[in-house]
Amino acid sequence: MRIYQLQHVDEPNLVEDVFPHVLPPLIAFEGVIHEYIDGEYVEIDPRDVKTRDIYVTDTTFRDGQQARPPYKKEQMVRLFQMLSELGGPNGIVRQSEFFLYTKNDRDAIEACQALGLRYPEITGWIRANKMDFRLVREMGLSETGMLTSSSDYHIFYKQNQTRQEAMDQYLEVVEAALEHGIRPRCHLEDITRADLPGFVYPFVQRLEKLTEDQPDNMKIKIRLCDTMGFGLPFPNVPEPRSIPKLIWRLKNECGVTADRLEWHGHNDFHKVHVNGAFSWIYGLNALNATLFGFGERTGNPPLEGAIIEYVSLKGELNGVNLRVITEMADYYQKEIGTELSPNYPFVGRDFNTTRAGIHAGGLRRDERIYNIFDTEALLGRSPRVAITDKSGTDGIALWVNEFLGLEDDDRLSVMKVVKIQRWVMDQYEKEHRLTTISDQELEEQVKIHLPEYYEKMKKKVTSGK
Amino acid sequence: MSRDEIRDQVFTITAREFGLDAGAIQESDQFVDDLGADSLKSIELVAAYEEEFELDLNEEEALRVQTVGGAIDFFEKLLV
Repeated sequence: MRIYQLQHVDEPNLVEDVFPHVLPPLIAFEGVIHEYIDGEYVEIDPRDVKTRDIYVTDTTFRDGQQARPPYKKEQMVRLFQMLSELGGPNGIVRQSEFFLYTKNDRDAIEACQALGLRYPEITGWIRANKMDFRLVREMGLSETGMLTSSSDYHIFYKQNQTRQEAMDQYLEVVEAALEHGIRPRCHLEDITRADLPGFVYPFVQRLEKLTEDQPDNMKIKIRLCDTMGFGLPFPNVPEPRSIPKLIWRLKNECGVTADRLEWHGHNDFHKVHVNGAFSWIYGLNALNATLFGFGERTGNPPLEGAIIEYVSLKGELNGVNLRVITEMADYYQKEIGTELSPNYPFVGRDFNTTRAGIHAGGLRRDERIYNIFDTEALLGRSPRVAITDKSGTDGIALWVNEFLGLEDDDRLSVMKVVKIQRWVMDQYEKEHRLTTISDQELEEQVKIHLPEYYEKMKKKVTSGK
Repeated sequence: MSRDEIRDQVFTITAREFGLDAGAIQESDQFVDDLGADSLKSIELVAAYEEEFELDLNEEEALRVQTVGGAIDFFEKLLV
């Protein structure tokens, strides 16, 4: 057994190479992953993700809209604009997919096109139906997704076809797309429940054959649709649920390149984000996501989570503007009127709010103790404390100092705010209250117990200094 | 301010904060074990000392004091 000795240090080891605080925590890999395929271990090098051109594709207006009432045109345009700002000039939010079937969808596409933004590129989504190419062409789109369901659940029971009939129909539509100069993106629905060697790989090999003479910008893309969230990120699980095997075979046995492979997940088993992140790590480039994870049933990979993951994996922002995430969440809640869960990471009202006094005490001493990264600098959201009977005088001090905008030596001690804490405790112990103390109630207490500070703060706010 | 004056004031404030008669307070009394202070009461007591002595106290140093006698010593260092 190796013996570990306590190491005495003068300075704390904050592991800042992993937790720089000015960025989300960084993800590093120290070696290759071994995936057991056909009786042998193959190597997948996750370090490759550092240099590969990984990016996010958006489906807020397609899968995201399948889970909610339609957005208004102006809402789609504003969100599209913000997606562009979020992804930055390097197109980390590279594409955004739209329905083409309603007038509202088409009007929204035209309005988004009129913005003249380089990213995200607008792509379409159609059923595997030749008639629908008219819509794609009319909208001036160069790429469209098309439904090419791959499991026997879909082929036999939904489409009432044989595998041959399904493949023939898909290939016919793909050929028609190529003839019309539209880049096809085949959405292999339900792939994590499909007979991979019996249908998916033969189909993809036929697609590769079709695409071999095409220029790079017309080569067929493959979207891996984990329609029911059955995909597993773990190494060495059997197909069809294995994400590493699926990606490895598509790249190494079917010849699809990383830039033409995309992951589209669902959250039925709470794996939606980690499956998406692993799909990057296992070797594909495009992670399809929706804002705040809204999508069919349990939703899709949350786009803002994918962006944070991107920064963690790359170790740099690469033009991403994370503060737009907060703007989008505000817009979503205030203008669109869709509530986000308070504990939802990065955007929920309480994502960096503590209720525990001991955590508030830590936050008051050094923000890094209980804040995941510098959320004020990166997201425009300072860590906050919600006041209950558990938040303690430290919690009150943190809240009051934040509210009054006091910093460093100007911050008030627990002694200065203890009367407010007594009032809070009386609410619970004497009045038998069961709800959180609101910001308005706390403001009132500040006015009563710290009138000179309150007046000073109000004057500062009024004068804008 | 003399040590005796500080002592009287510490006794008065402490008795008031704990709802006791000043005569019942002893220098050896521990705030937590003998007088029953919880964390909120400890802060209220320090806040009361701060207000009465018209001082801005260092929070951590002040809250480290554990006995009535310790409080007298603490303020003696600051005021005498």
